[in-house]
Amino acid sequence: MKRTVIISLMALFSVLAGFSRARAEDVGTIVEDSFNYMRGKSSVSTVIMTIHRPSWERKMTIKAWTRGQKDSLFYIESPPKDHGNGTLKRGREMWMYNPKINRIIKVPPSMMSQSWMGSDFSNNDLAKSDSLLTDYTHSILGTETHDGKRVYLIKSMPKTNAPVVWGMQKLKIREDLIWLSEEFYDEDLQPVKVMTTLEIKMLGGKLYPKVWRMHEVDETDTYTELTYTSLEFKSNLPDSLFSQTSLRKARR
Amino acid sequence: MSIDAKMAWRNIWRNTRRTILTISAIAFASLLLVFMLSFQFGSYETMINTSVKIHTGHLQIQAAEYREKRNIRYIVSDLNNIAAVLENIPQIASYTYRAQAFSLVSSAKRTYGAIVTGIDPAEEAGVSRLKSLVRQGAYLSGEDTDQALLGSLLARNLHVKIGDELTILGQGRDGSIAATVVKVKGIFKSGIDDFDRSFLQIPLKTFQDVYAMRGMVHEVVIVAHSLSDVGPIKRTIQKDLSSLSTHQRLVTLDWDELMPGLRQSIEMDLISGLIFYILLVLVVAFSILNTFLMAIFERTKEFGVLLAIGTTPGRLTKVLLIESMTMAAIGIAAGIIVGSLLTLYFQLHGFDISGASELLSQFGITGRIFPKLSWISATSGPTAVLIITFLAALYPALKVRKMKPVEAMRAN
Repeated sequence: MKRTVIISLMALFSVLAGFSRARAEDVGTIVEDSFNYMRGKSSVSTVIMTIHRPSWERKMTIKAWTRGQKDSLFYIESPPKDHGNGTLKRGREMWMYNPKINRIIKVPPSMMSQSWMGSDFSNNDLAKSDSLLTDYTHSILGTETHDGKRVYLIKSMPKTNAPVVWGMQKLKIREDLIWLSEEFYDEDLQPVKVMTTLEIKMLGGKLYPKVWRMHEVDETDTYTELTYTSLEFKSNLPDSLFSQTSLRKARR
Repeated sequence: MSIDAKMAWRNIWRNTRRTILTISAIAFASLLLVFMLSFQFGSYETMINTSVKIHTGHLQIQAAEYREKRNIRYIVSDLNNIAAVLENIPQIASYTYRAQAFSLVSSAKRTYGAIVTGIDPAEEAGVSRLKSLVRQGAYLSGEDTDQALLGSLLARNLHVKIGDELTILGQGRDGSIAATVVKVKGIFKSGIDDFDRSFLQIPLKTFQDVYAMRGMVHEVVIVAHSLSDVGPIKRTIQKDLSSLSTHQRLVTLDWDELMPGLRQSIEMDLISGLIFYILLVLVVAFSILNTFLMAIFERTKEFGVLLAIGTTPGRLTKVLLIESMTMAAIGIAAGIIVGSLLTLYFQLHGFDISGASELLSQFGITGRIFPKLSWISATSGPTAVLIITFLAALYPALKVRKMKPVEAMRAN
C-alpha cells in the first residue's frame, strides 16, 4: 500500500518534473513502475472496444475494475444484447458470466489462447497480464524520442521454465512511464501481434494512453482498439468486488 | 503350328511335374495379385464411404474462406437456390445443412472447448451415420429445441450423462455473445477419437437462434449414390452455382479436400502393398529363372546335337522363349481367371473382418469389406508378372547362343 502510493507519487512527479535518469539503470524497475503507473493501485474505467474487420466493425462499451497487478472484473454495458456479460480474472484464473442463462463458466486452460469476446486479445492477454513482470527478464536495446521525451526500447525474454505465452516481447516505454507499444513474438522470435498507443491524454488525474490498438503483424485492416472514456484511480477496491457473486450481479 | 512352336510345346511337357509347378507358381502369383489389388481398392472405397458418412459427406458447399478460417461469419446464404440446384442432380443421394461454431461447453463440474454443430435431425440421418452411432439416450427429433447430442469422449471429459444440463457459451455471427443451456439427449460413439472428443450437436433451428445466424448455415453436406459420381456432381454444382448471381463466393469441396489425411493413409497403404507385390513378383521371377536354367543344363547335350546338325543359335533362342512364354501365358491366364472368380465371389458376399475391427475402426471400417474387381486390378499385377518372367527367361535363352557344339555334346 505504502509502496504503491510512493510509486504513484513518483510517477506523478516524473510526469510533472521531467524524468529521473537514474532509473534507467534498472530496466526491471522501469517496466514494473510503468505497469503500476498504468494500472494504478486500483482503477475503475469505461472503455470502448472497437473490433474492426475488413467487412464489419463492432463496438462494445466495457466497464472495468482492476486491483493491483492480478485482479480485474470487466462487464459489457452495451450493445444491449450483450448487456451484463462479465469476465472475472483473479490471479491467473478466469470466469465468464452470461445473464441470459445466468451461469458462470470457468475458462479452462485449453481455452486460454482463444480470443476474448471475438477481439484480437486472447484470454491469456488478460489473465496473464502480469506475466511480463514475473516471468521475463528485461534489457534495454536503445532509446529514441517521442514528443520530446526519451523512450526506452526494452527487450523482454522469458525466464527459463517460466510458463509463458510469448517467446519474446519488445516494449517501448516513455520516460514518464507511459507505455507506447508492446510487440509480441512467438517462440521462433517471429513477430505475431503489436499493441500501440495512439493517443495520450490526461485521464484520471495523470497522462494516460487513451487509445490503444492491438493488431496482428502484417494486418492493417483487422484490429481491436480500446478507447478509455473515463478512468479513475482508487486507493483500494473491496475484495468482494472481485468475487463470483459480484460477477453475477455486475451492474454497478 | 510351326515346327518351332511344335518343338517348344513338346519340350514343355517333357517334364510334366516341373512344368506344372512352374505354371502354378506363375498362376498363383497372378491370382494373388488380382485378388489383393481388388481387395485393396475395395477396402479403400469402403474406407472412404464409411469415413465420409461419419461427418464430412462426399461433398460440401461452403463459403470460400470458411474451410481455412472456420470463422462464423463465412456463411452460405441463398439456400433456396442451392437446394434447387441440388434437387436437379440425380446422382445426389441426399444432402443437409449444418452450421457450426467453436464454443465453450460446460457441465456442473468441467468446461471444455467443443465444436457446436447445428444439424437438421431428419436430413442429417440421410447423410451421416450419426443416428446409428448414438449409443446412449436417443437421437434428436424434429421437435427438439434445447437438446444436444455429444461424443462419448466429450461426455466423459465433462462428466455428464443423459438428462444432464450443459451450458454453451460462444460468439454469434454478429459478434454478440451466444449462450444457451441444453439437455444431453444422446451420446454417440464413432470410434474416431477426434470426432467423439470435440463435437456437440444441437438442432439447427436452436443454433441459428442462439448464434444469430438468421436462417443461414456454414456447410451444405452432400452424399452421392456412389464414389465415382463425386467428380461429375462436383463439376455440375460448380457450373450451376457460378450461374447463380450470389454476392458471395461459394466453393464445392470433395472428400479428398475435406479429409486430406484419408487420401494420405490410402496412399501409404498402397505403397506398403506395392512393396509386398514387388517381393512376390521377384520370388516368382527367381523360381522361373531357376526352372529355365535347370532345363538348359539338363539339355546341354541336346542343344549341342541340334547345333551340330545345323540349327542356328537364333532358332534355339526362339524355341526356348516360346517355351517360357507359353508357360507364362498359361499360368497368367489361369491366375486371372481363378483370381477374378475368387474376387467376384467375395465382391458379392463380402469379407468378414470383425476380428480386425479394433484396428480398422480408426479408419471407420466396420463389418464387411467388399473387394472391387476392375480392369486395373485384374490386369496390372499379371502384366508385371509377364514382364518379369520374360526378363527371367531371356538370360538362359541368350546363354544358349554362346554354346560350342562339340563342348556341349561332351557335357555331363
